[in-house]
Amino acid sequence: MKGLRKVLTPFAPDQSGASGVLYSMGALTVIIDAGGCTGNVCGFDEPRWHDTRSAVFSAGLRDMDAILGRDELLASKIKSAAERIDTSFVAVVGTPVPATIGTDYKALKKLIASRINIPVIAVPTNGMKLYNEGEKEAYKALIDEFAAEDPSDAKEQIVLGMTPLTYGKDHIDISLDDIRNIRGVGKLIAASSSGIDACMYLGREYEIVSPVYRNNIPEGIKGRTLVCHDEVVGKTLRDAGVDCDIATFFKLHDIVKQDGDKKITEEDEFIEMVREGGYDTVAADICLKELVPDYEGNWVDLKCFAISGRT
Amino acid sequence: MEHKAVYYTAEEILKRGKNDIPSELQSGMSLVYSSPATLAYNSPGAEGFGVKRAGLSVPESVMLIVAPGCCGRNTSLISSMPEYKNRFFYLEMSEPDLVTGRHLNKIPDAIREVLEFLRDNRRKIPKAVMICITCVDALLGTDMDRVCRKAEDALADGEFAGVKVRPCYMYALTREGRRPPMVHVRQTIYSLLEPMQKDAHSVNIIGGFAPLENTELIEYLKLAGIRNIRQISTCRTYEEFLQMASANFNIVIDPEVRAAAEDMNKNLNIPYIELTRVYSTDKISSQYKAFASVAGIDIVDSEEKTEADEAVARLKKAYPDLVFNIGECTNANAFELALSLTRMGFKVDEIYAALAPENFVYVKNLALLSPDTKIYCNMEPTMLYYRISQSKAHVTVGKDAKFYCPDIPNVAWNQDTRPFGYQGVRDLMNKVFEALKEAKA
Repeated sequence: MKGLRKVLTPFAPDQSGASGVLYSMGALTVIIDAGGCTGNVCGFDEPRWHDTRSAVFSAGLRDMDAILGRDELLASKIKSAAERIDTSFVAVVGTPVPATIGTDYKALKKLIASRINIPVIAVPTNGMKLYNEGEKEAYKALIDEFAAEDPSDAKEQIVLGMTPLTYGKDHIDISLDDIRNIRGVGKLIAASSSGIDACMYLGREYEIVSPVYRNNIPEGIKGRTLVCHDEVVGKTLRDAGVDCDIATFFKLHDIVKQDGDKKITEEDEFIEMVREGGYDTVAADICLKELVPDYEGNWVDLKCFAISGRT
Repeated sequence: MEHKAVYYTAEEILKRGKNDIPSELQSGMSLVYSSPATLAYNSPGAEGFGVKRAGLSVPESVMLIVAPGCCGRNTSLISSMPEYKNRFFYLEMSEPDLVTGRHLNKIPDAIREVLEFLRDNRRKIPKAVMICITCVDALLGTDMDRVCRKAEDALADGEFAGVKVRPCYMYALTREGRRPPMVHVRQTIYSLLEPMQKDAHSVNIIGGFAPLENTELIEYLKLAGIRNIRQISTCRTYEEFLQMASANFNIVIDPEVRAAAEDMNKNLNIPYIELTRVYSTDKISSQYKAFASVAGIDIVDSEEKTEADEAVARLKKAYPDLVFNIGECTNANAFELALSLTRMGFKVDEIYAALAPENFVYVKNLALLSPDTKIYCNMEPTMLYYRISQSKAHVTVGKDAKFYCPDIPNVAWNQDTRPFGYQGVRDLMNKVFEALKEAKA
């Protein structure tokens, strides 16, 4: 049945992706939920939480807040926090609750902005999409609000999409200043699916490569290989000489896709690819092996935090 | 801007009164900071018993989480525990589901597919399927009882006949409501019991999802002739769980099970007696006296009381000026524990807990003995700026207290199993003693 998971737990959702992009930018991030979604982000999907605390808060919505659409109350809570927390901007991140009640993010952003004297961005995530979509939306919101048309102080290179959810401890944070100056950067690198989307949104030339796997083929990969991870990880390994097909639960852009590559959604699709593909090696997070216990080929554990929650 | 976590002293709170508790100390009044205590509540997979683990406390049950993917994300933390292997399944909601509600129609087929999967993989067929739904269905107004009945009916003809289907509401939105999720899930669990013949020698202890620790209460009941003392966590099979319906009376050890106890009183004719976990040996003694009188049994508790008092005395003798910080992520009411410790002659510098009106009485008494005790709220946004250097404590109790004071010896005291009565006092004192001894070494 479509949408039924019998073995795997759900992957990192879009709101986790959005929060992950915002985490290093000094935002006062407000997840518009009752508490559970923020719990998932800080308690599970944000490996930086226990080392470097960031201002990530739950809106603490209650049933009547949602039913009556008490945006004024939410704006008041945000104002009160913004007056007491050092922050350069406020980011509101959506969840299934505002998706269900049809929150107008543009109006909410305007309402909050009218109460405080710092910028506000709204990321329209809904908890039903995957993390790469949330990262993409966060990049777009940041670029719209902060990217200068003609920046004076740009870096030589910026890597987009190298977040903990794709790369675990190998992530590279970017700052709000990086976003401000991004239109003038010398070179843009897309390190994951959301990086490709962000680069495309900027309308600039960019290179698609994973800095982690560039010239670094994981030990054990041999023969015909199925790489199941983010598409850029697969492409980078392919570009490095691995004879592989890419399977990804996340997005597969036409610019990356080749014959044999597949965007998969269901557990059964992965099982079918492994069983029918005749691969010598499967390079994927080890938690996926449970789907194909009878696979006798070579398995290389390619950790993906968004899938297994392992760094 | 001053980077300072907001707190109020016990004396300040007493002056303001029960009807004017500062908004910074109350739940639901501001944005919520993700401290370990709020995470433990908000992130049911993180630790402790949230709705998901609670629902699966029914022996031989599995859970189907019908929700957006984000709601089940952190369940992998639980799924990796051996006792939950092959017990969690997910039906992920999509955007069209949200608009059309069609996910509800898929539930009967999804249950059947899960049961077939278990059968085909030579797993035991469960006796109950718990359907966990979340905020979305709360807002959609889904009649989950009807959905579950329909799903149960769909299984009636065939190899899975008799499998029960019950809803578990993981509605964080109703946290401060009349029936918050942890109250509701207990009602759901005990709603599976069916009337049966009473056994005068059977008693249930209800409220927890893990057993009571080796507490004297069990011994008192045995000495009173109670042969069957049942807790859901010690029932190995579904059949054994159903035997809970034969109890002569229930002992309620957590106020969140009170509604379920009322249901059992009404539907199964099982009355209940409520016992509260406190850390004052005098209070424990008077509670046992009252319990013995109501239950018509004899309780002689002098030996256990002496043991607990001696553990207090040993700690007091070794560390006469001991100062505590106390969190709410612990097997205690943080305010009651603070008051009890203060009455024992210790000092409490800081408490990290939301202050509900029903706990005002503890703060009121605490203010008379220790007016300068500072009270912080785990949920308050400015806790982001909490600095350990402010604290004078020698030891902390609670997982959240360790988060705030990482360099001070800590007793987490948040184990799944429940300390109770004199055993709780005695073991906590001994744990604190050991933690300080270890730190000194």
